[in-house]
Amino acid sequence: MTETRVRIGLLRLTDSAPVLHAAAAGLFARHGIEPALSIEPSWANIADKLAYGLLDAAVMLPPLALAAAAGLRGVPARIVVPMGLTLGGNTLVGTHAVAEALGAGDALMMAPLAMARRFVAWVRAQPAPPRFAVVHAWSTHALLLRYWLAAGGGDPDRDLATVVIPPEQVVGALAAGRIIGFCAGAPWGDAAEACGAGRVLLGSSAIWGHHPEKCLALAEPWAAAHPGAVTGLLRALLAAGRACAAPEQAPALADLLAGAGVAAPRAALLAALPGGAGRERIEFHAGAAWYPWRSHARWFLAQLRRWGWLPGAVDAAALADAVYRPALLAPAAAAEGLDWPEADAKPEGGHDGPWTLPARPNPLPMGADRFCDGANFT
Amino acid sequence: MKLLLADNDPARARALAGLLAQDPGLTVIRLDPDTPLADAVAAHAPDVILVDMARPDRDALEGVRQLTARDPRPVVLFVDEDDPAFMEEAIGAGVSSYNVLGLPPPDVKPILRAAVALFRRHQQAQDALARSQRELADRVAITRAKALLMRERRLSEPQAHRWLQRQAMARGARIAEVAETLLLGQDKDPGGPTP
Repeated sequence: MTETRVRIGLLRLTDSAPVLHAAAAGLFARHGIEPALSIEPSWANIADKLAYGLLDAAVMLPPLALAAAAGLRGVPARIVVPMGLTLGGNTLVGTHAVAEALGAGDALMMAPLAMARRFVAWVRAQPAPPRFAVVHAWSTHALLLRYWLAAGGGDPDRDLATVVIPPEQVVGALAAGRIIGFCAGAPWGDAAEACGAGRVLLGSSAIWGHHPEKCLALAEPWAAAHPGAVTGLLRALLAAGRACAAPEQAPALADLLAGAGVAAPRAALLAALPGGAGRERIEFHAGAAWYPWRSHARWFLAQLRRWGWLPGAVDAAALADAVYRPALLAPAAAAEGLDWPEADAKPEGGHDGPWTLPARPNPLPMGADRFCDGANFT
Repeated sequence: MKLLLADNDPARARALAGLLAQDPGLTVIRLDPDTPLADAVAAHAPDVILVDMARPDRDALEGVRQLTARDPRPVVLFVDEDDPAFMEEAIGAGVSSYNVLGLPPPDVKPILRAAVALFRRHQQAQDALARSQRELADRVAITRAKALLMRERRLSEPQAHRWLQRQAMARGARIAEVAETLLLGQDKDPGGPTP
């Protein structure tokens, strides 16, 4: 079999594990893919390189993929999302002073909404809006932080000075007192606790249960020209996601992440992996983590619109359908023997515990998808 | 016009700043790698920002207008809609550009062209350096592997060379790769007929 070379972009984060595992375990090669991994220093690089054909595929923030396709970074980028990669995995971290103000030890047990109300009261008592970091404006982190703050009665534009700091630098910024908190992906929340820079206040799944986190994004012209390679790539990543979900795989994944230059203590790398001891853990497979739900895309677009970031002319439902492409995944999912959902959207929120999703040939077991304010999004 | 140059490579930054200094209408501010990009933009209020794509804090310029609703100064990624080939060239060379106005100043393109050309030349020099280092390393490995074969298997130099060549052909590998494997001692049984 001749191999197709595929340029895949990723950042140094725990949720890049499926791509690293697929490369190390030979899953790409098994499906005719010769991976050329490109570890990028910024999300902007990923977006630019996908848009201008310097990457074929990338681990991506769903809101950034949608923002780029909507034209928020200039010319609308031709990017498609054929697959979800992970659910959950981010943490909200505060300085010790913030944790104390929220009730220190009790804060960790507090309901997320009650914590949001206390947090809003505390930030409003400060002389100026405190600086709080996210990793990108159009990130799951920024949107979930704003959702949580607003659910607690806050105004994210007035109550906080939101700054963007690269994930690898948030712990240092917190320790140096340049920010009072951050929302970032693993391993940085656990790393901040490990070095004493701050406390994990909340896992992002407490804001939205099993929320979509990273997705796979493809350059649309490349995907259109290489349908066989797309299926091979997706098969490799479906198999990798399943492997990464097994707790016994975690030590090997931590080795791979360290080898890729994720510069965090081993305990912090293991914390967010399956079977880890962290407050928030990443789901790589279960609960149809791999399915590119159009309802997820609509929720992200609804949040961009809520904050006035999406131009009025953009038809959100049409954009969600244009970017999120379950049809690209269907052949790969069938080949991997996965049960396939009967609809490409689902009601989001409303499940406080496990539930069952209609799928063929067998229904899919799903996890809780509760929003911290109990909202239903349809 | 004020230009903020955030290039993590000091030699390249010096060269580009020198080039741009020829333009009397341009004030160039050079940013060191440790100063956060967003802070520098707030402090210097540049019209144009040239950013080395190796900088991780480039993300801090994205969506600034949206995130900091109280700061009306919009920072927008420069995109030449009519010239996607130029955009591709710039990204390939590793340089991106932002405007701190709604629209790019009309005379900005020659500046970007100069930056892209310089970044490309630098990249080609880096590639050539990496290539020559690799070639040198290959040469060293082959020489050492031949010495090993000559010593342990009592081959002449041409015989050792032919042995490596044949192994490379049989495995579909480069001669240097065969040599490295041999030197690593991973080849417990080198096999193959002794010439």
